[in-house]
Amino acid sequence: MLKFLFQRLVVLLAALLVVSILAFLIPYLSGPEPAQMIMHARVSDLAVDPDTIAALRVQLGLDRPLAVQYLDWLGNAIRGDFGFTFTDRLPVSVHIKYAFVVSITLALSALILALVVALPLGAIAALKPAGKFDNAITFLTQILVAIPEYWLAPMATLVFAVYLQWLPSAGWAGPEHVILPALALALRPMAYFTRVMRASMIDVLEAPYITAALSRGLGLGQTIRRHGVRNAMTPVITLFAMWLSGLIGGAVVIEVIFSIPGMGRLLYEAVVNKDLPVLQGTIMCLVSFAVLMSTITDFIYVLINPAVRIKDASA
Amino acid sequence: MLQPNPTAAMVRPRSNTVLGLRKTIRQTLYILGTRHWSFTAGVSIFLAVICVLILAQWIAPYDPDAQELLHRLSGPSSLYWLGTDQLGRDVLSRLLIGGRFSVSVAAVVMVISATFGTIVGVICARRAGGMVDEVIMRTVDLLIAFPDVLVALVIIALIGPGSMTLILSLIVVAWTPFARMARSLTLEINSKDYITAAEVLGCSRFFIIFRHVIPNVYRPLAALTFLRFSHKLITVGALSFLGLGVQPPKSDWGAMLADALRFVDRAPLLAFAPGFAIFITALAVTLIGQGLEIEDESKNAKEESHKDFEPSAKTTKGPNS
Repeated sequence: MLKFLFQRLVVLLAALLVVSILAFLIPYLSGPEPAQMIMHARVSDLAVDPDTIAALRVQLGLDRPLAVQYLDWLGNAIRGDFGFTFTDRLPVSVHIKYAFVVSITLALSALILALVVALPLGAIAALKPAGKFDNAITFLTQILVAIPEYWLAPMATLVFAVYLQWLPSAGWAGPEHVILPALALALRPMAYFTRVMRASMIDVLEAPYITAALSRGLGLGQTIRRHGVRNAMTPVITLFAMWLSGLIGGAVVIEVIFSIPGMGRLLYEAVVNKDLPVLQGTIMCLVSFAVLMSTITDFIYVLINPAVRIKDASA
Repeated sequence: MLQPNPTAAMVRPRSNTVLGLRKTIRQTLYILGTRHWSFTAGVSIFLAVICVLILAQWIAPYDPDAQELLHRLSGPSSLYWLGTDQLGRDVLSRLLIGGRFSVSVAAVVMVISATFGTIVGVICARRAGGMVDEVIMRTVDLLIAFPDVLVALVIIALIGPGSMTLILSLIVVAWTPFARMARSLTLEINSKDYITAAEVLGCSRFFIIFRHVIPNVYRPLAALTFLRFSHKLITVGALSFLGLGVQPPKSDWGAMLADALRFVDRAPLLAFAPGFAIFITALAVTLIGQGLEIEDESKNAKEESHKDFEPSAKTTKGPNS
């Protein structure tokens, strides 16, 4: 098992390396030469003297071979240094650190909200497959999946922020600013969590230890809470980790609508302003986080699943 | 039961097309009636949406680009059923035309990614455990959790917006669930007796894949296609919403929604309508997918329960044999 985890890690790191090469090449793939672009970002004059650009190229080391530049860039990137932004000349890492904290707060609140609703719903649906509750809950998850969040969010804002004035319509200042965007983001994961919880609960309920607990005289509610939910949660946890890395940066539209300064909006603005260092930094940060989460998920899976552990010990 | 009537065709040869059409409609209705309600409802709504989108030019009450500046942001009335936008254009007409872009882009993306993903998955299953399989499946693991809006955003930033870029950038992520599912389904089938039998009989790999593997994996994959379709539809809308999908002068539901948000407090319906259109279409496709999935599950369950009544390997190995 350890060997398997190690193998996975090696492949994932290799993938990370490939992504880093692509991210490094972004300035060379898009539009004019990098030195010229940096010069344009610094001075608004479009007709800069070619000698000045050449001087800048030498000064920044952009005249060196690509491989040398890449290794240099990678070394800095590993230390978290992605250079300075084109727009406000602050270090990219400062922007990313701030945006990452904002995004993880938002993503965690949305996912916890989704989990709190989805676990009981999935468990109830699993009690009697194809029963009345199950059909209703299945239909509900279909609706949740089909709602575009960039439609629900403005409509909810209209009701709760404009008409009722209970919540702020946009911004990022206090806990009340989290509610509407988290709600809009929570719907789709809620549906997926419910579906997965239902499927895994149906499997768990057929297990002998459930029959054993019931025949010992443990009530149905207690059995499900103590034995059912705990055992059925493993696939949901895996999905949770997947969604966490997905929602950090994946919440672009919601962050733009509510003007939340998170990773998604940082990337979106980098795209709109052609701010390449920010683009490189955010891509590397997001992919690294995805790799990290994927590895952690594998470890958690081994840790909480006794079947895998025991097989490993006996092997 | 639904055979063409030979005498009718002989007596009135001209009405062949009418008869054929009637037959098709009757057959379609018959098939729909026997399927899971979720499938039936989904197909009905989706077909209605598709018909409306195709016929939009003829059934739209106004020219979608005609500006009536005296009637800006007017509410719903008998003249303009859904009101007008900030330039006095009829919202209903724009809505009918506006769905074409999102739905066609999402459909193209789904067809290509489902085909590509299935092929990759089947190939990986053939070489399960090998280098190729390992590398492809780790790539899938990494990409599958990656939000497609982000990937599309970066690729569009590099190449520039356009329908081809959009389709390409969505496929980058969209093929992954198909590869994973096709791989695990194929692995399951490969362990079945009829595959071993086919191999023993000397059937070629291609024959086995097309005759035995594909017919057995296509149902769950079709369900997945429809389930992912709704997600792609929403993503295309999101990119248009951000101004990176459809490019002016063309418009679609996402772009209409984004435009309408500036006037949302004065004309809420203007923002509600395009979002609702996306929702209904996405819901229809999800219902189709869910229906297919449920049918597939119940079919499998039936097969399992049949197995229980057949003499199992254990009993034939009992003391009597």
